[in-house]
Amino acid sequence: MLSNKELYIFLSTSLVFTSIYAINLEHSFIEKARNGHTNNWAVLVDTSRFWFNYRHVANVLSIYRSVKRLGIPDSQIILMIADDMACNPRNPRPATVFNNANQHINVYGDDVEVDYRGYEVTVENFVRLLTGRLPPGTPRSKQLLTDEGSNVLIYLTGHGGDGFLKFQDSEEITSQEMADALEQMWQKQRYHEVFFMIDTCQAASMYERFYSPNILSVGSSMVGEDSLSHHVDPAIGVYIIDRYTYYALEFLEDVSPESNRSMGEFLKVCPKSACISTVGVRKDLFLRDPDEVPITDFFGSVRPVKLVETVPTLEHFVNVSQIPLRVIKTESKPKKYHYVPPLPIFSKV
Amino acid sequence: MTLHQTLIYLLIAHLQFQSISTSDEDTFSEELLLKPLFSEQLYAHFQFATHWNIEPKNENYQHSHLFPRAVGEIVGRYNVQELHISLTGGLWRYETWGYPVIDAAPGAEVWAWFKPSTTNVDKNWKLLANSLSGLLCASFNFVDISNTVSPDFSFRPRGVVDWSNNLNNTFLRYATLPREIVCTENLTPLKKLLPCGSKAGIASLLNSGHIHNTKYHSTGLHLRHVCSSESCDSVALELQLSVSLVYDYAILGTRNWSFKKLFGHGLNGKCPLATKSNIYVDLSSSKTLNNFELSPEPDQIITSIRGGQVSDYALFNIPSKFLNVGVKYPEDFTLTVNIPPPIHANQYLTGYGQERGGIVTEIYNNHWSSLEIVILQNIAWYVPVYLHTLTITSGGQKLEPKILKYSPGKQREKPYYIEIALKLPARSITTVSIDFDYVFLKWQEYPPDANHGFYIGSAVVSAYLPLAKNYTGLPQDSATIFGSFNASRSGYLVQIRTENMVITLPTPDFSMPYNVICLACTVVALAFGPLHNITTKRLTPKKKNEEKLMQKVKKKLVNFLKKKTKTE
Repeated sequence: MLSNKELYIFLSTSLVFTSIYAINLEHSFIEKARNGHTNNWAVLVDTSRFWFNYRHVANVLSIYRSVKRLGIPDSQIILMIADDMACNPRNPRPATVFNNANQHINVYGDDVEVDYRGYEVTVENFVRLLTGRLPPGTPRSKQLLTDEGSNVLIYLTGHGGDGFLKFQDSEEITSQEMADALEQMWQKQRYHEVFFMIDTCQAASMYERFYSPNILSVGSSMVGEDSLSHHVDPAIGVYIIDRYTYYALEFLEDVSPESNRSMGEFLKVCPKSACISTVGVRKDLFLRDPDEVPITDFFGSVRPVKLVETVPTLEHFVNVSQIPLRVIKTESKPKKYHYVPPLPIFSKV
Repeated sequence: MTLHQTLIYLLIAHLQFQSISTSDEDTFSEELLLKPLFSEQLYAHFQFATHWNIEPKNENYQHSHLFPRAVGEIVGRYNVQELHISLTGGLWRYETWGYPVIDAAPGAEVWAWFKPSTTNVDKNWKLLANSLSGLLCASFNFVDISNTVSPDFSFRPRGVVDWSNNLNNTFLRYATLPREIVCTENLTPLKKLLPCGSKAGIASLLNSGHIHNTKYHSTGLHLRHVCSSESCDSVALELQLSVSLVYDYAILGTRNWSFKKLFGHGLNGKCPLATKSNIYVDLSSSKTLNNFELSPEPDQIITSIRGGQVSDYALFNIPSKFLNVGVKYPEDFTLTVNIPPPIHANQYLTGYGQERGGIVTEIYNNHWSSLEIVILQNIAWYVPVYLHTLTITSGGQKLEPKILKYSPGKQREKPYYIEIALKLPARSITTVSIDFDYVFLKWQEYPPDANHGFYIGSAVVSAYLPLAKNYTGLPQDSATIFGSFNASRSGYLVQIRTENMVITLPTPDFSMPYNVICLACTVVALAFGPLHNITTKRLTPKKKNEEKLMQKVKKKLVNFLKKKTKTE
């Protein structure tokens, strides 16, 4: 296990390198920004455990549903859910999570894939996921395999305070750690642009420390403000969604993969009259004008298709039979296989 | 070659190769067994079996036809001989429900045999567990050597092996995660491993909303090697995927079930890739009392005589049109007396307070003769048990174990492993108990919800029953339910899983007020001492003796001499 201390050291050394490489990277980056991104990823994190935090799971599943509907495949969505609400014994309708008292949409759906769940949702795993410093043997579905052409949507929800976000009611990530993790991602060319979305109390404090380029951030509340929940479902008995995510989802439900809505419009979602808290936006690290960025740049998915003019024939390629196979030497003596009795006979043992 | 050319090349190469290596002998079968249980439940067991005749020369497991490639890759990569996984919510009630087709412990359970050519079994086991966590969306990455045992008797290979008679259990690993929650995200990847997915065939009945509304639900993945020919000189891979559900009539609202009520909709044809698509309804309970009406009429009635048990099954071959199997019970329902199966078991905790406790396993033998059983306990390291407290009693008499295997646990490194071979007297209740201590953990080892408690996994009671009463398990040589009809054998394996237990280890108060109080008290205590000293004691300078050593000696000498002269 990498201790926090080691992580700090690593992060701080990486800062020194930033200043050296920043100039070179920036030039090559502007080129790439013009070319646009080549793939989309989403990291959706619910950091709250316990039944009364049902709304946070509903929040994150609402965004999951939207990005999946808009075209990001499950293999490119990392979903972290700190507790099981769908099959919780307190849930009156098992295997469902609703974000609305009318129970229109089951955001849990019938083909959900949760990548990190329960005790696996920790600060360490989250930072490791972002920075790509995972232990050997981590399955593909638990890795953020982004590159310099990836647009990444990071959505966090849970209980936060001024400069931190609690994980599982037992540890927290600070805004500085978050900023350093993103910087490390940038240095490792793990993203092209990031849209950072956070729905917690004092959400704006989480993105204040960011210093890496190409990050557009939005938070549900300013420093000193609480983020509020939207409504209770009496059948479930708890608050079922937060205000900001509720209105964000309402906006996203009208978006289709072909639509021309812009990020600028999305950033205006949930005015103070609806949200009660003030939605905070940070654009200074983002090079493009949000009004000209289609919302599908972050919530949809690019599937690059290149047209070729000639039909490639197999002759151009290596003969199929040359593909190396892992051939296991077969013994000349034929083997004899047999079943073993499932329990030994003890009088003979 | 540009990247996308490479990709196209790979794609074409793959397609070509697939057509070469695809053997026509791959088979897939899908079956559904419906059995009314005693007395208010209905058992639905989905059994999917894929048989893959792999060429022994081409053991890279990458070019499969009906077999899921993801599983094949895992087998090839980690040198797996056999793999058995179950993810279960709820507890199978053996006493009233009889025996299931496949036994499974509450939570997650995984065991695997590695091939004897494996050099580092522990490393492969860890990597295998990691891969499984990705494959099935479960927390198998928490499986490591600290909760893994290699039992001597309980988990022998189920498939064929070419090893000699002495099995080397250093290639076996067994672990359970009793806390694991099973939900839709575990079912989704399982459905994706089927050739038709959940799009067609019996698997289309698996709708999460209706599955997790049950009293017991269990999904299983069982992979083994089987003979590919009569002479058994070559092997094939066999994958069984299963889903077991127990519906409660009280939750359904009616005893008259139908596919629509159970699964939300009927069945629209079979999976075109399947060689066998059958539905069986057990009519045994309908024969005597409570004769239910089955609709539509079954295609065939099969009578199975197996191990002294005669049962009738209604068989439906899935037609290409819509099918909604259902039953209608008569208005006046007669309750019958439960006849428990030959063996069943319970497990519970004893003791009070947070110092000492005990684990008790009770095994009921309802059979008229004595039975040999094996009990396996895999107890986590944070529950240190004492072997000298192990007592086995039956009807007030002390019972000596035939064989006792024990390996002590080690904190944070190794669980306690106990395996006991016993001969249960006829018609008896045998109690196996062992005492343990509650321990303190390091504060970072407590989970975020430490007050929920810590789990002790279920004990596994294995027995080879002489008769197949209330038994639905599959014979060792078959992967289909059809193969279990009329399959009389010399014995019938059951592996009973007992209840999980939750213990509350002494947990520090992690709440903020408590920590504030602790900190404040420490500060006060540290400040109090010096302040008390300063205010109550007077500081006075001590006179310092500045004489030198030589002078001291001289002085003493002079005094001594003076004394001497006086006495003289």
